[in-house]
Amino acid sequence: MRGDVLERSAPARGPLVPVVLRAPAATLATLVLVIWALTSGAYFWPAWVWLGIAYVIALVASIRFANSIGHRGARRFTLVALIASVLSLGEIPQWALSGFGYFWPVWALLGSVLLIGGYWIVARPSRAELEQRVDELSRTRRGALDVQASELRRIERDLHDGAQARLVALSMKLGRAEDRYAEQPEVSALLREAREDASAAIRELRELARGIAPPVLADRGLEAAVRSLTDRTGMEVEVRASLSRRPTPAVETAAYFVVAEALTNAAKHAAGARAEVRIDEQSGDLFVEVTDFGPGGADPSGGGLTGLRQRVEALDGRLQVTSPDGVGTQVEAMLPCGW
Amino acid sequence: MRVVIVEDHALLREGIVALLQEHDIEVVAQAEDGPGLLRIVDGHKPDLAICDVRLPPTFTDEGIRAALEARRRRPELAVLVLSQYVEPAYSAELLRESESGIGYLLKERVSEVRTFVEAIRRVAAGGTALDREVVSSLVSGRARADGDGAADALAALTPRERETLELIAQGRSNAAIARELVVTLGAVEKHISNIFAKLDLPATDADHRRVLAVLTFLRATAS
Repeated sequence: MRGDVLERSAPARGPLVPVVLRAPAATLATLVLVIWALTSGAYFWPAWVWLGIAYVIALVASIRFANSIGHRGARRFTLVALIASVLSLGEIPQWALSGFGYFWPVWALLGSVLLIGGYWIVARPSRAELEQRVDELSRTRRGALDVQASELRRIERDLHDGAQARLVALSMKLGRAEDRYAEQPEVSALLREAREDASAAIRELRELARGIAPPVLADRGLEAAVRSLTDRTGMEVEVRASLSRRPTPAVETAAYFVVAEALTNAAKHAAGARAEVRIDEQSGDLFVEVTDFGPGGADPSGGGLTGLRQRVEALDGRLQVTSPDGVGTQVEAMLPCGW
Repeated sequence: MRVVIVEDHALLREGIVALLQEHDIEVVAQAEDGPGLLRIVDGHKPDLAICDVRLPPTFTDEGIRAALEARRRRPELAVLVLSQYVEPAYSAELLRESESGIGYLLKERVSEVRTFVEAIRRVAAGGTALDREVVSSLVSGRARADGDGAADALAALTPRERETLELIAQGRSNAAIARELVVTLGAVEKHISNIFAKLDLPATDADHRRVLAVLTFLRATAS
């Protein structure tokens, strides 16, 4: 499981020592041993062949291991570090086979340490680069959400112009037919039923559209859409808004649904109470605050509020729910707008 | 009666034209956008303009704005606005700017042919036609409100009186209300005077003014 998570972004890793090398390496190693035994040399020269084979295998394995790392920067660093290590550490067996003595590999080892250390210091992403990367990610994520919000508005428009308009035209023809057959109740009754079915479809499409991309929000903006919401809840709601410009569709939609969810909860749990909605901009951010003076004690981990929090946080915003018992409930959202 | 129609969706526009012609209402011109509306109203001087809320180029609320502009230029023009969705704020805007001859209906009402034609005739004659969905949401919203005397007053109405109130808010005449509720004209008049007394509204004869009075009352909780 954990392996899956870590390696999902990396290319599939094969075995470190490729299958194609194993047989020849083993064969060569065994072969030289046999030849030495047969020629009964005193000096054990196969050790050098084995060292050579080990070098090759170590280098190949290093390259394969480094390639399996997903992140490009880490991949390069690992490759350099491993190759330097193999080459310098590989001098130690050479030194041993040459009869020990002055530890000359120390220079290569020192050089490797300096090389690896220097590379790490230089190539490690600087704080500025990381900040830049985070900014870029935030920007592209916001861009993606803006695209999605615009798409949803386009879908609502298309529904309006396409399916809904056709249904209205259809129900109109049925109505005219019903009118013409007014003298034949059986026929006109059937036509009336058909017309009512079409009307029900129109209503459902309208509710659907309102649930994903409320038309009045797109047409007239946040304040108008919020006032329309308050009319619908049947609570006494005071709306105070002071926006000088419209936020992007994604931010506007998120703010709208914060108010919608908060008011729905208020209507459910604090039906008779008074409520207030405040919308304003402060230092380039959009602030939305919905307060009801009901019984309080709301559960901030409730399903609707969790969904809201996700929406808001996806736009780098913050959502806070305060609900002391007996005092009321306040839902606050802050959404950065870059104004 | 001479009518113009402003609607960018061809299928709907043609359907409404056919419907009206079947009821001997003359459609003198048609247009597809706001400037078109103003042009044909100037040119043909109709009695009534039927207009969609959403028109090109932005498809937001050009229809309402063009209709209000046309009224400013020609105050005797009656206007009936059709909308896919009912936005109470639009109805408030339309009513605020005019003394009479205003209608605001859901587009699908055109399929209720008798009611639609009746609304057209009423608005052209200077009355009011407000979609029953706007009215019912206002009434039920008001009834849920709490903590002030006005809500109790609404609760003090009998069910029949509530029904009558909604029909008044839609702009129906006493005769039409009597037909709808299947009661006598006298009964309707009695209901109405009871309603106006209980809600403490000024008694007025003019249909349009009483619609305004009722709607102002209903919208009083909205800020």
